[in-house]
Amino acid sequence: MLLRTDKVSKHFGGIHAVDGVDFTLRQGQLKSIIGPNGAGKTTLFNLIAGVYLATNGKVFFKDRDITNLSLHKTSRLGITKTYQITHIFPNLTVFENVRISAQSRNTAFNFWRTTHSFSALNERALDILEQVELLDKRSLLASTLSHGERRYLEIGIALATEPEVLLLDEPTAGMSCAETNLCAELIKKLNKELKLSIVLVEHDMSVVMGISDEILVLNEGRTLAEGTPIEVSDNEEVQRVYLGEGKACSA
Amino acid sequence: MKQATDKKAMLTDVEPKPRATIVWGTALVLVALPFVISVPLSTEILIWTIFGLGFNLLLGYTGVLSFGHAAYFGLGAYSAGLAIKYWQVDILTGIAVGVVASMLLACFIGALAIRRRGVYFAMISLAFGQMLYFTALSPLKEITRGEDGLTHIMATVNLFSVSLDKPKHLYYFVLAITVVMLYLTWRILQSPFGKMLQAFRENEERAKACGYNTTLVKFFSLVLSGLYGGLAGALNTLYLGYVPLTSLFWLTSGTIVMMTVLGGRGTFLGPLVGVAVFLFLQNTISLFTPRWELFVGAIFVVIILIFPGGIMGTLREKYLSRKMVKLQNKAADFQ
Repeated sequence: MLLRTDKVSKHFGGIHAVDGVDFTLRQGQLKSIIGPNGAGKTTLFNLIAGVYLATNGKVFFKDRDITNLSLHKTSRLGITKTYQITHIFPNLTVFENVRISAQSRNTAFNFWRTTHSFSALNERALDILEQVELLDKRSLLASTLSHGERRYLEIGIALATEPEVLLLDEPTAGMSCAETNLCAELIKKLNKELKLSIVLVEHDMSVVMGISDEILVLNEGRTLAEGTPIEVSDNEEVQRVYLGEGKACSA
Repeated sequence: MKQATDKKAMLTDVEPKPRATIVWGTALVLVALPFVISVPLSTEILIWTIFGLGFNLLLGYTGVLSFGHAAYFGLGAYSAGLAIKYWQVDILTGIAVGVVASMLLACFIGALAIRRRGVYFAMISLAFGQMLYFTALSPLKEITRGEDGLTHIMATVNLFSVSLDKPKHLYYFVLAITVVMLYLTWRILQSPFGKMLQAFRENEERAKACGYNTTLVKFFSLVLSGLYGGLAGALNTLYLGYVPLTSLFWLTSGTIVMMTVLGGRGTFLGPLVGVAVFLFLQNTISLFTPRWELFVGAIFVVIILIFPGGIMGTLREKYLSRKMVKLQNKAADFQ
């Protein structure tokens, strides 16, 4: 098992945002966490990423206990997260956004050589921009990108850290249906072509149906159902929770 | 193979090979400066520019506001002065003592306060600065000479048997150091370390997710900034021949903030431009009226209204937004 949590919980005062959830991710798997608002998806996600410390339970990465590691340390181990609300470096170019992330692995504290002279680093940044389809926009300031492009840049920045596990927090948030479907395809492509293990948090069930290997459904901080997309969508509990949900972009 | 050349071409188009032309160009202008304005004013501009370069690394590039930077300037000035006065060290050693002392102080303040952010960090740094000021004022009066400042530091200033007593000699000595610092700053800004500082400024949370220990980034930035402060302070001691107590006062901290913001924080030449404008106005207007602050203040208000991002900052913004429009048009044509 590449990544797993053991009865992990997070309480904010009296609120049990995540309550004893077991989560597993195998090598190369694309696993989605879904659930209605307030189900604890993002909290679980942040427990794995090292943003929050767990109230109870443990998180393991390759059988190493990473429960209390902070965000930058889990990132260095190979688990990189993206943000639900876009977090990019707005006043730098698209290219620099990705390169800054790529250099974090080994060259970061070099203060004498120009970044320009690390050719492998620069080429890697271009490769990643190609993967997330932003190569044409490389010289633009990140702040001039459209919302959808920023979401892609967000994924590109995460990819640049060469993660083994990519944690995507609602990558399609705020996208139109057409954009959402394209983004879902991109995620599947990263999973298949780069053999990247991916955890995808989504609010919208229809996005994940077509691309996930497995789905974990959370409700009120607990596991409601877990299984393949078909198993999950046939589950009556899941149907009840999701009844009357809005946006649906079937791929 | 074709793809490889494509990538090469793309790299030069996205980022041309960086050249330090801006450093050498500035150096040329500074060589001529004392022929245009008075030598003392020129020397002051250089000293404060060094101070500003370091302050700008912290405020402009790392996005951390210190409101107690006089501590590094003043400590550098006093340490260099004391070393020269009491231990009779040569001036280069004196400068080194000032630099090291200020860096150590930055390590100390950094270790205590670096986890605070924004206005809290500004306030803590102000408190440390004032602590140093009052320590020099009274408890250490025997050594620092309190309110009088540290006087009678040296009879003559010699460097390798060349006398720096002539103002112009001293100016070119300080200029050499300034050019080194300009070049150092330029290298730092081009390096991965410099990019990391900017990542921190732009988005600390994201920098963490990229695997950066952001606390360490901030710490290093502060210590580096302390180095510049200490160096500027030590040079100020050589220039004045004494250390005024006010070099530790919060007004000094405020002045460097104002100069940097005026020139354009986060731009390479911002500190130099801000310092030059500030000192030039101060020197010129104080010839006519003792109430020069009133007029200088009014002029600053006007400058900031025209250049909200500082002089160089706003020019840079204008240039960039034009470039962005051009790039977007080009992309649109292409499609």
